[in-house]
Amino acid sequence: MGIVVENPGILTTVQDEGRFGYQQFGVSPAGPMDTKSFYLANILAGNSRGEGALEMTFQGASLRFEQDNIIAVTGADMSPNIDGTPVPMYQAVLIHAGSVLTLGMTNGNGCRAYVAFAGGLDIAKVMGSKSTLMRNELGGVDGRKLEKGDAIGFVAPKTTLPNMGLRKLKPEIFPKKDLTLRVVRGPQDYEFTEEECRKFFWYGAKITNEFDRMGCRLEREEPLHHIGDGNIMTDGIAFGSIQVPTNGQPIIMLADRQSTGGYTKIGSVISVDLPLLTQSMAGYKVRFVEVSIELAQELYIRRLNELDNLERKLNQA
Amino acid sequence: MDAKFLISGDTAVSVQLGDEISLEVNQKVRGLFEELTKKPIDGVTEMVPTYASLMVHYRPQVIRYKELKEEIEKRLENLEEVKETEGIVKEIPICYGGELGPDLEDCARFENVSVQEFIRMHSEHEYYTYMLGFAPGHAYAARFEEPFHFKRRESPRVKIAGQSIVAQLNLSNLIPFPQPCGWNILGGTPLAVCDYSKEDPFLVHAGDWFRYVPVSRREYDKIKEDVRKGTYRVKTYKKGVK
Repeated sequence: MGIVVENPGILTTVQDEGRFGYQQFGVSPAGPMDTKSFYLANILAGNSRGEGALEMTFQGASLRFEQDNIIAVTGADMSPNIDGTPVPMYQAVLIHAGSVLTLGMTNGNGCRAYVAFAGGLDIAKVMGSKSTLMRNELGGVDGRKLEKGDAIGFVAPKTTLPNMGLRKLKPEIFPKKDLTLRVVRGPQDYEFTEEECRKFFWYGAKITNEFDRMGCRLEREEPLHHIGDGNIMTDGIAFGSIQVPTNGQPIIMLADRQSTGGYTKIGSVISVDLPLLTQSMAGYKVRFVEVSIELAQELYIRRLNELDNLERKLNQA
Repeated sequence: MDAKFLISGDTAVSVQLGDEISLEVNQKVRGLFEELTKKPIDGVTEMVPTYASLMVHYRPQVIRYKELKEEIEKRLENLEEVKETEGIVKEIPICYGGELGPDLEDCARFENVSVQEFIRMHSEHEYYTYMLGFAPGHAYAARFEEPFHFKRRESPRVKIAGQSIVAQLNLSNLIPFPQPCGWNILGGTPLAVCDYSKEDPFLVHAGDWFRYVPVSRREYDKIKEDVRKGTYRVKTYKKGVK
């Protein structure tokens, strides 16, 4: 066995890039909440970037290694340590059999950490994916969060990777208290008057504690008003869709979102800004800034190019 | 109505092909879905058909919004009509009333007909699956004859059983797993609406036709046992034959 869970933390799940192709049957894609940190963990650990890794929320897990393997920890700073000795984050690190990797409580810089294991985790794919979707008891380890005593094998553990000296990045600084999210308007911004749309951008909102893998509920001082009643003929939902139900309080749809829904959606948070939200916590203030679809896609492609370049640099012979 | 392209962030667009819930509009959605399945557009990762729109998820690094919109517009111009007569109809056993269908008698009373007549109205017609959503395999389906007059219950139930069959107006949905629900429950099916262990886990797909076939509680239990053993095969007939 690769690892044995000694302490599962608050919410630790197996996530790969997501379960795609099944939204037409009502299956949520799941996948990582913070795609950037997730991709970086895999790239540093020498994996293809969508490989299954562990996502830990607020307080991380303790994992006993039964085999040597290289790992990388990214995302929220949960003060990772091996048998009490701090481990650098955003770096490929070899862990020996018998050692215990422990991630503790977040120190406030982000709330979701990712641990990628070189060669990947031995998790059976369900509908083409290792991602855990707890709501439907699907994927991962028995469709649930990790529990004490769970054992997960490694597929092809490594003791070295090409360019080990280069497998090191500067840790990310996540938003504290305030964040700005860029938004592309639509699909149902026409369900609001121009003035209401302006108000959406003028006045911020607070992240409530109803914030999980499915969505993030916001609280505005003044709820948004629809032209109609806020209901639409059910249509598709994307990662980052900002639903505004009848009560006028927005909900941003995240990794475990339903594939379809019947509430108006005023806009969508752009892909490159979603990790800022998914690393934030209840009480933070959010502001929205409107951008064009062209700019949003340009920024997204730039992000992907950066990841491609990093991958190429690390894996060249 | 002309197609409306509703931007859903930088990796998805909702192509709206009508503004009502109708077979005609939904079959346009199916037509586009099938066209893009047969001749895929490079960069499109998946599509989600709903009542009147097709959600197209795509990779902007392969195709940008403007190019995708132009390509879909081109495809819409020469869309073939979906031929329904070639379809098959699945027979879905349903045990009405009792603990499986606690609202049956209330609903019949509301419609001012006998329970027997109510069951006939619900089971005599073929249902069209508009879409799947909400939960894996959760089918939104409708018949086009003899609609009921009741809508949702005044207060939704916190949890109803999986494999329940619920109804309002001309709609009647298949519920895969336990869930909250505000609709009236008419009965239960012994068939798994979603079974992850199967190669195709979903009892019905969007665009499928099916019919509810009344069975007794004894037959229900027998079928349920056959399903558990893996020996049950869903019966079908060619549309237009029965």
